[in-house]
Amino acid sequence: MEKPLSEQEPAVGESSGSCSNPNPIPGSIAAMDDFDWASFRDDDIMQQHSAIRAEEAAKVPFVGDKEPLSSLAAEFQSGNPILQEKIKLLGEQYGALRRTRGDGNCFYRSFMFSYLEHILESQDKAEVDRIVENIEQCKKTLQGLGYVDFTFEDFFSVFIEQLESVVQGNETSISHEELLQRSRDQMISDYVVMFFRFVTSGEIRKRAEFFEPFIAGLTNSTVDQFCKASVEPMGEESDHVHITALSDALGVPIRVVYLDRSSCDSGTLNINHHDFVPGSNSPQEGAAQNSDANTTPFVTLLYRPGHYEILYPK
Amino acid sequence: MQASRARLFKEYKEVQREKAADPDIQLVCDDSNIFKWTALIKGPSETPYEGGVFQLAFAIPEQYPLLPPQVRFLTKIFHPNVHFKTGEICLDILKNAWSPAWTLQSVCRAIIALMAHPEPDSPLNCDSGNLLRSGDIRGYRSMARMYTRLAAMPKKG
Repeated sequence: MEKPLSEQEPAVGESSGSCSNPNPIPGSIAAMDDFDWASFRDDDIMQQHSAIRAEEAAKVPFVGDKEPLSSLAAEFQSGNPILQEKIKLLGEQYGALRRTRGDGNCFYRSFMFSYLEHILESQDKAEVDRIVENIEQCKKTLQGLGYVDFTFEDFFSVFIEQLESVVQGNETSISHEELLQRSRDQMISDYVVMFFRFVTSGEIRKRAEFFEPFIAGLTNSTVDQFCKASVEPMGEESDHVHITALSDALGVPIRVVYLDRSSCDSGTLNINHHDFVPGSNSPQEGAAQNSDANTTPFVTLLYRPGHYEILYPK
Repeated sequence: MQASRARLFKEYKEVQREKAADPDIQLVCDDSNIFKWTALIKGPSETPYEGGVFQLAFAIPEQYPLLPPQVRFLTKIFHPNVHFKTGEICLDILKNAWSPAWTLQSVCRAIIALMAHPEPDSPLNCDSGNLLRSGDIRGYRSMARMYTRLAAMPKKG
């Protein structure tokens, strides 16, 4: 974050709206030693936000239990007919879903659980070795961009720890049930989300030229501003750009299935999906390692506008 | 709690190592509490704060660095984005745009940048903001200068 000060200037302006002064008249120079932190107005707002989050938390854990797809159908029973029809189509290929909390981090939490669950079930050691190498590369990317090690290393080690735990046969190995518990643990889950956010941000900045036009179309901001305002802070939602970057950086293909109201003129409804295939956007990184990408990605997410959940193929 | 302590300890070591690198910032950790820090920052040159030394107080939450530090000016300052009475600072990275990529040191740098580039459209100090918004740059500068002299510069004699 060793950015020239001038670059911090535009970001400062985004703070508008969060602050206002109820006491605009400069008073005497008051002693502030006994200042009460709790009287912070912005602090109150942040407390209210966390109260709302806590309320939300009571409804849906970070990562929910596996549910049959019929629970989705039940949810839309009296809803939009296009959606009802699409859920039926979805049921031909997919058997279950796992809900995630809608706190702006749902893409990362879905990805975390889905990926680790896959490793736990497949015990694919070659894949573990491969991703560990990619993670090492991500670390170097961040260092190259000027990030200080201590700002990101704790988040990296929490993810590596989870990755090592799902590989069986060690003292620290965990069961599926424990994986679910850990994914619901605030500290572990948030640290892994932050790990993904660092990796995503590093990849976007490293390939700024590639991502720049997408970002300009999305938010009308520079790559740096975008990473600072929409990638790195917790709770900022993810879009195509984020998913592309994370998939590329970690070398993990991701399938996103879209459940929205769109339909085509021919009258026959289709469930659209998009496969994020690592390397397919960046010739310099070579698409060779993923040339056999016609296999189904093992991370499949369901996207409903504004929210990601985990989907399970039949 | 353990994680925030470990992170703050790393920041502490970094601050000791980099002391000379940023002469405008002097960050000090409370002797007995690693969650309390103070900083002395130099007012940026070519601003009404030039020549002043401003004290900041940091209160760091247990969830740091997932949550931002709470920072306020202890030294009185006349600036659109600083509450005149409480010293509260209106800066996005201390609120919704916070991320663990920031450090106590880089927060200080951001605050120095804010001193040089006030944002009168989101004022915590309306008088100061109104002066700037109405184009009375001279009025803003002289008020800010006066308070810098009164509160942020060593008394003579």
